[in-house]
Order: sequence, then C-alpha cells, then structure tokens
Amino acid sequence: MIWFTSISIMFLLFIIPGLMAGLIDMIPAGDQPGYSVDSRASIYRDRYFTQYFISKDKNLTAVATSIKNPNLKNKKNIIFNLYDDKNVLTRTTTLNGMNIEDGSFIKIIFEKIPDSKNKKYHFTLSSPDAGEEETIEVFLTGPTNEILNYIYDEVNKPGGTPMVTFHKPDSSPETIKLVYINWFSKLLPRHFQKI
Amino acid sequence: MNKGFVKLLVLAIFLRLLVSAFLFHPDIKTYNFQASFLKKGVINIYSYLINNKATLPIKEEFVYFPLTYFTVGGYQAVISSFLGPDFNTWLTDAGSNSMVNNLNIFKYLILLKLPLFIMDISIAFLLLKFFKDKKDGKNAFTLWLFNPFTIILIYAFSNIDLYAVLLSLIAFFYIKRDKLIKASVFIGLAASFKLYPILFVPFLLMKAKTTKEKVLSVLVPVLTLFVVIVPFWSPAFVESALVSGLSTRIFSPGFPIGFGESIVVGLFLLSSLFFTGWIFGKKIKLFNYFVTMLLVIFSFSHFHISWLLWISPFLVILAVSKPTLKWLIFFWAIFAISIPLFYSDRSMTISLFRIYTNWYDFLPTPFIITQKFYDPYNFQSILHSVLAGLSVAISIKLLGKENKIK
Repeated sequence: MIWFTSISIMFLLFIIPGLMAGLIDMIPAGDQPGYSVDSRASIYRDRYFTQYFISKDKNLTAVATSIKNPNLKNKKNIIFNLYDDKNVLTRTTTLNGMNIEDGSFIKIIFEKIPDSKNKKYHFTLSSPDAGEEETIEVFLTGPTNEILNYIYDEVNKPGGTPMVTFHKPDSSPETIKLVYINWFSKLLPRHFQKI
Repeated sequence: MNKGFVKLLVLAIFLRLLVSAFLFHPDIKTYNFQASFLKKGVINIYSYLINNKATLPIKEEFVYFPLTYFTVGGYQAVISSFLGPDFNTWLTDAGSNSMVNNLNIFKYLILLKLPLFIMDISIAFLLLKFFKDKKDGKNAFTLWLFNPFTIILIYAFSNIDLYAVLLSLIAFFYIKRDKLIKASVFIGLAASFKLYPILFVPFLLMKAKTTKEKVLSVLVPVLTLFVVIVPFWSPAFVESALVSGLSTRIFSPGFPIGFGESIVVGLFLLSSLFFTGWIFGKKIKLFNYFVTMLLVIFSFSHFHISWLLWISPFLVILAVSKPTLKWLIFFWAIFAISIPLFYSDRSMTISLFRIYTNWYDFLPTPFIITQKFYDPYNFQSILHSVLAGLSVAISIKLLGKENKIK
C-alpha cells in the first residue's frame, strides 16, 4: 500500500498535469480583461460591431468574448467575419444564438492563421436576421496592448469587447513543455517567475 | 520510535506537503475569507455575511457550524504574521486567474492546510492505539497514512470536515471503553463542527445500559450542540448552515406512495437499522451500526466528495479487523470517489490543477466527455448502484453473525 499510494500521488501530481496539457488544442494569449456589465453594444439587423486587435502570437485560431443573449431570445445566425490589416476577408464563421447562453464566454473558432504573430486584424459581429427584441450584446472595456479600438454605430472609439485570442500550439509536446515550465517557474524564487 | 517508523512518517508528511501545495480547491479560499472576519471582531458570521452581501467580493454564505468558524478564524489570527500583509488581498481577490497565479500561493496553501495535517496525523496515532494487537495497530496506522483516497480527500479538497471526523473517532474510542457519556460529549462537539455526527446519537441508546445512561447519552450531545448554536440562532444561521446539504439530501423524497406522500429511502433504511438493532440486537457492536449507517447515507444520497472522509477511519479499522473485506472496501472506495468526479462541477477534477496552468479551463470535464458518448447522469446512477450493492455486501457481513471487531 505504501508503494501504491506513493506512486498514485506522484502520478497525480507529476504525470496527470502533463497528460492534461497534451489535450489542450488551443492556448489563450492572456486573461480576459475586466469589464463593466453596464457598458454594452447591441447587435441586431444593420447594427454590427467591429473590433480591431493585434494577434500576440502565431497560429491564431479563435477569438473569444462574453456575449449577452437576454432570455436566449436570439435564435438567429450570428456572423463573424475576420479581416486582415489590408481589409481582406480572411475567415468567416456563423454561430447560432440558440447556442449562446446569456453572458457566457463564447469561443469563435476558425482555421488557424499560421503567420498571425503581431499582425493587426479586425472582425465584425452581426446578426442581420435578428429584430430589435432579439438583440445580442457584447460588453465593452478600455484599450489594452491587444484590444485597440472598435467601431459601433459608425463611431470609432478606443478599447472594445473584452476579448481573448486563442492560438494553436505547434505540437502537444510543446504545450506539455510550456505547462511544466510555467509550473516549475512558480516554484523558483520570485525574480525567476514567469508571471 | 524506531527508524522504519520515522521513515514512514517522513514519507507520509512529504506526500501530504506535495498535495497541499499543488492542488487547489476554491473552498479553502472561500471559508478562509469568511473566517477572516473573526480577526475583525465579527462573532455572528451568518448574519454578517448576509447583511453585507452587497459589498463583499465573495458572496457565498458560511455553511459550516460555529466551531468551524472559530477554529479556522482563530488559527488564521495566530499565523497572520507568517501569512504576511498580502494575504488579505489574496482572500478578497475574486479573479479566478489571479488567485492561482499569486506569487505566495504555495505558502498560503501549505500554511492554511497545516491544521488538517495535525488532525490527519492525530487520527493515524489514534488508530495506532485502537487495537489490542500492536501489529493490527501498526497496520491501521500505515493504512491511514498510505492510501491515496484520504490524502486526496483531505488535502486536494481542503476538507475541514476532518475536525468532526477526529472528534467522532475519539467518541468511538470512548464507546469502545464503555465510557458512553464521555463519548456523547465528543459527539456533541463533533456535531458543533459539522452536523452529521448527530446521526450517531440514536444508536448510543442501544449501547446504554441504565436509564440514566440512556437519558444522558442523548441529552449530552444535543445540549452541547444546543449551547454552541443557540447564540447564533437566526434566520441567517438556519438558512446558511442548518438546512445543509446533508439534511436536504438525506431527507429528499425517494419513491412516491400516492396522494403526495413519498418514502424517504435514506431515512427509511436508517430507522430500520435503528429499530432492528434496538429490538433484536443482543450484543450490540456500535461500530457495525455506525459503519452501516454511513454506508446507507453514501448509498442512497447524492453526496459531496468531502463527506467520504466521515467513513474513512472506520473503513480503515474494518479493513484491518476483517482482512477478508479489504478488497470489497477497496472497490467501495474506488466507486465512491469516482461518482463525484463525474458531477457537472469543474472543481471536482480539472480545476484542482489550476495552479499548474489556467489553460486547463478550456478542457472538458469528465461529465462533458461522458456526455459525448452516453448520458452522464445515467453513468453516475450506474456507479452509484454498484456502490449501493457493495455497501449491502459489507453491511451483511457486519450485521451478520460474525460481527465481532477485535
């Protein structure tokens, strides 16, 4: 029992985190910025939302933000279009309001863009079939080094929706290595820590 | 103490330190945040949290009983200089990422889990002294310290039910020595931490020989509990702590018998156990009734993973006393710990590892993975049914003819 317990605990603490890391198929570029629930932009019919941002890493594969869908009223299509800095449509994805719980953090996934590191992009979110009573809303926050500015109702303002970009790792071993490095760095004296 | 014994203890401590430092369940932060108000002079935490809900960063109510508040809060006050000035900032930090990325996280977790460590080792030493045969005592000591189940239940889930578990075990020691009144005091104290030991009280009646002993064995724990809780009695206390998961889950209706009535399965079985023992039991072994009662609770209620600790020392005693049951007990533990892992609750599994990285937040839980192939609730029911079957097998052995515990 002593061996069984020691091995089980070591497996739990040292091997399982690696196995879990191997299952991660996309990595967030950072934490979601804080936001006020009172500051929002409604999306319906011709009222769409445009967000400018910088991709901090290569292999951009998803954009995520918190979306309000009060009483799950929006059951219409929500169209996501991603453009590069030359305004060329690069990726497009359609979601359905039925799958968006009110206030949930929604990941919009698309095929990875390999050379996305430090490049400027913008996306639009629209729901042209939705009426005024079927509105979805994005929250708003101030600018960060990733979130640049947004256009809503034809007005351009700094900041935007509290978004996070996701990037496909090069390989599972690479992700596992990063997880262990992050963990070990936390164990080191403060000036060595990554965070 | 010989060298081998010391080595064993060092290894046990090492494993516990590792789990304490690396696995994080948010409950430890929540109850320590709540208990931190003791330093500020708050005595009635139940009313305070409800009255100040709007301004507090963590909104949860205090679900434990008063002695837990004073013990956790008192300990925190004593070690506050070791925790450092940033500790309160961490306690009030509601950011899910910043709380696990805090530079002092390992220090906080180890220091805050230290009382659990003391209780845990105390249980091991109590078990060492439990048996007349020294070899059995050593086996129980080793089995308590070296089984992955209790290490995970205590240190991964920061399980403060351990206070009640230790006091219940002390009570059982007194029962074994026929000191029923002393046992009653400890059951009352244990119930003042967590309500479940109060379920042992009716069974004390079976063991009591004289009328005086019968009255006192019921009155002492009830009065002890009453004295502790009466200063806090308020709608806030009733709502937060008294109408707990235990009472609502054990007494939730089972199968309907018509006209709006239902049979509450857990209560039905507990009362059957009590009355059968009381009327037909000739030489009552309370240990067998205690274990069977707990087996009934786990078999017929939707239990919280931390509850599994209640039965753990008893199962260790049982595994050592009746080696023929050890595999049955092992499988019981495997099934019992597996069920909550399939609950729709991230903090049962993946979230425990958030100290390594919060990228795990984007991994599906076992519940979600199961959902892709099969109904996860059905799967939980299958596991729970097997657990109930194992419980019946153990109970038959316990309450059958060969029920003597060494």
